[in-house]
Amino acid sequence: MVENSHLQRFMEAARRVGTEVAECDDLQQAAEYIAAKTSGRTLIPETALVRKYALRKMMREAGSEVYAGKFRDAGRVPAAGITFCNFAMADTGTVVLDSTNEDVRLATTLPEYHFVLVDPEKILADNLAAVEPLYALHDGGEPRFIAYITGPSRTADIERVLTIGCHGPRELHILVVGSLSSDLMEM
Amino acid sequence: MVDSTHYKKSVEKALNNEKLSEALHLFGDAYLIARENAFRGLDFEELRTELAAIKDEVRLRRKELLDQFVTNAEAAGSKVFLAKDTKEANDYVIKLAKQKQAKSIAKSKSMVSEEAHLNKALSREGIRASETDLGEWIVQLAGQRPSHMVMPAIHMFKEEVAELFSKETGRKLSPEIRTLVDVAREELRKEYFEADIGLTGANFLVADTGGIGLVTNEGNARLCATLPKVHVVFAGIHKLVRNMEDAVKITRLLPRNATGQLLTSYITWIRGTIPCDGEKKEQHIVLIDGGREALYQSKACGDALRCIQCGACANVCPVYQTVGGHVFGSIYISAIGIILAAFYEGLDKAKEIARACIGCRSCSAVCPSKIDLEEIILHLRNQITEKYGMGVVKNIAFKSVMKNRGLFHNMVRAASKLQGPLTSRQEGESSSRVIRHLPMHFMSKDFTEWRDLPSIARTSFRDQFDTLEQKVENPVYRVGFFVGCGADFVYPEVGVSLVKVLNHLGVEVVFPKGQNCCGIPALYAGDWETGKYLAQQAVAAFSEVDVDYVLSICPTCTMGVKRDFVERLADDPQWSEKALRLSDKTMDASAFLENVLKASSQLNLSDEQTAITYHDACHLKRGNNVWREPRTLLAAAGYRVEEMKNSDRCCGMGGTYSFLSHPQISRQITRDKVAAIGKTGAKTVAMDCPGCMIMLKGSMGKADPAVRCVHTVELLQEALKRT
Repeated sequence: MVENSHLQRFMEAARRVGTEVAECDDLQQAAEYIAAKTSGRTLIPETALVRKYALRKMMREAGSEVYAGKFRDAGRVPAAGITFCNFAMADTGTVVLDSTNEDVRLATTLPEYHFVLVDPEKILADNLAAVEPLYALHDGGEPRFIAYITGPSRTADIERVLTIGCHGPRELHILVVGSLSSDLMEM
Repeated sequence: MVDSTHYKKSVEKALNNEKLSEALHLFGDAYLIARENAFRGLDFEELRTELAAIKDEVRLRRKELLDQFVTNAEAAGSKVFLAKDTKEANDYVIKLAKQKQAKSIAKSKSMVSEEAHLNKALSREGIRASETDLGEWIVQLAGQRPSHMVMPAIHMFKEEVAELFSKETGRKLSPEIRTLVDVAREELRKEYFEADIGLTGANFLVADTGGIGLVTNEGNARLCATLPKVHVVFAGIHKLVRNMEDAVKITRLLPRNATGQLLTSYITWIRGTIPCDGEKKEQHIVLIDGGREALYQSKACGDALRCIQCGACANVCPVYQTVGGHVFGSIYISAIGIILAAFYEGLDKAKEIARACIGCRSCSAVCPSKIDLEEIILHLRNQITEKYGMGVVKNIAFKSVMKNRGLFHNMVRAASKLQGPLTSRQEGESSSRVIRHLPMHFMSKDFTEWRDLPSIARTSFRDQFDTLEQKVENPVYRVGFFVGCGADFVYPEVGVSLVKVLNHLGVEVVFPKGQNCCGIPALYAGDWETGKYLAQQAVAAFSEVDVDYVLSICPTCTMGVKRDFVERLADDPQWSEKALRLSDKTMDASAFLENVLKASSQLNLSDEQTAITYHDACHLKRGNNVWREPRTLLAAAGYRVEEMKNSDRCCGMGGTYSFLSHPQISRQITRDKVAAIGKTGAKTVAMDCPGCMIMLKGSMGKADPAVRCVHTVELLQEALKRT
């Protein structure tokens, strides 16, 4: 397990906002963890790290129903979405995903559960430390959709009672896995 | 035109809705705790000063930054439309919808779309707009408008929501919050898939990227911006920021101050025509002026555009907690709502609610953008009074009587004699010199049913001063005493106590007889002219004496001298310099005793620990930043302060507010304070404000006459007497 000075703070902050956090020895263990948590259509958008680690194949072998069709046709509420992230922020327990690719957006907004694989090397101190990589993600003036995600979807609109799972995922799971990638531009 | 009868009825209706007020109180209490936790380890003052500077820079460079934003957004494929008013903005969306043959629009939260009445405009054209934010959807189904900027349906209860949702879905739903949220999740999910257009607001328009930022919790804005083929951003021009760093800095304050969250569940940065179902999404950014440029240009009110719409000014407002946002607000709610209504909807829309502000400054203290909301509201009142007048009673009181010092003081003397038949028979201590009933029954509901009114003292402080013997050899300081009307005519014993305490500590007191009312009551009524005249009287009176400091035992007077005199006389070269000099040496008496004289170390009077409680006067804490000092002094003098709940919440006085404009709202606010005092079990409540004394002596007199309400300096003097 790779140590990172921000890891403990990150995990504590994430848990405080209702994120489930698990530390895994390797990607294989994470895959089994995820497969055991869900059943039903699972959206895994093709990103650089998904290709690099053949995550779709790994999840299928772990027993997940990896959806092979067009994500817009996966139904209004698929079971799960699995993604990596560009980077994370320790003080608030936030993960940051370049979601310009529409499949990333669909896999992180529609499903009941969202699983995020986080390399401790990608955890930054706070959102001010994240300004520079946030700019780097905006390089080139092209269209962009960058998402900060901090815990599951929530509302307090009825009688100010905090209720988890309003329009976005009901559960957010962060799986901490070492040696995936330390490149903040890679997801 | 706002009909004032209609307004009065709505106040009355809200006051009868105990359940709403109770819910808003519970929310207000929980909010304070959550906010405190969220800011732990951070310096709020430093953060908000920085935020104010960020927003001021935007105000200064708004044209250039707007150009930069438009250039960058267009380079990323966005179409930007600048709408001079909300009508133009609505027309643009309608035209676009027709072009796309759109039948429905999925909307996430956009306050400016409320301002534009966009849903109504669309519906007239046969286009259905579906609110997808849970609170907004509830409000839409109920055919109402939001009563809070962050929690639009805060005024509704789960039973009402269940009824609305049952009607909408045709199913019988139980009033269980989890069930209701799930129903909304299910029902609204199809809206995103079926909508032809997704419409969102924007928390930020980032100039140097050309992108927008959205700060949300539910996840509906992400869906609105993802599923439909067309994305419309509907935003006010004041959402501009220079760059990402500024936007990120604002996200450090916004959720913390809005809901006590460190960050909301989602912050989304969107730029340009992102991929959508194999194509490029169309993105239209509608930027709306709608009165914002005029507000930017207003010297007195322009700071209001620093607002980041966190809603905190409502959360802490005692008036909001008492009557809710449908009464105390327009499109926007509470303090900021008053100001924005004046500029976006017209001064007449702000007329009634500007007077409903009690002036407690809670909003100014909690504002993350350091907007002095209370001060801006005062300016608006002045404009309102100029345009609509202030009513006969105040007109005579301020313009004819108070400006004439001799007449005013003679009338007070006469009144002291005339009130005889009404005052309580017990004479002696001031707490028993009260008016318990008024003969005119119709007035009792507003006046004596729930409080005793103070009677005017037999001999005012100004008529007693010369008889006070001051034996101070080689005084360490000479101080001028600005007595203020409350201590002069109602509680002269407070002034006498102060003189004795100061003399004991080697300080000589000078009392310039030319002083008059500080003018704040006139100013609060919007009578700038009388306010200015009275400021000149005071400045003249104190310029004639040679003193080291000027002290007041009324924090409203202190604030008046320190802040308002300077402002009132700023444009007058004959007076501005003198007003500044007086401002510099004026301070609250408790602050002088502790910060200048270090009285707590000299007073160390007693080990005896009498339990008391302490009420923070609004203008002492939030107008003069004094709240530690009286506690330190009282502890040194042998009093143990048992803190009450929300000790710095307004007592309901607000000057003429509790007598003339809104006595029934005052009554409710006072009720909370009386309950908080009662809960401590203390039999004495100390405070540093004659106004609060009038309110609390009066209401405690009816609720629990055994509880004594005193000024801090009276307790100090009593402790001295004991030694």
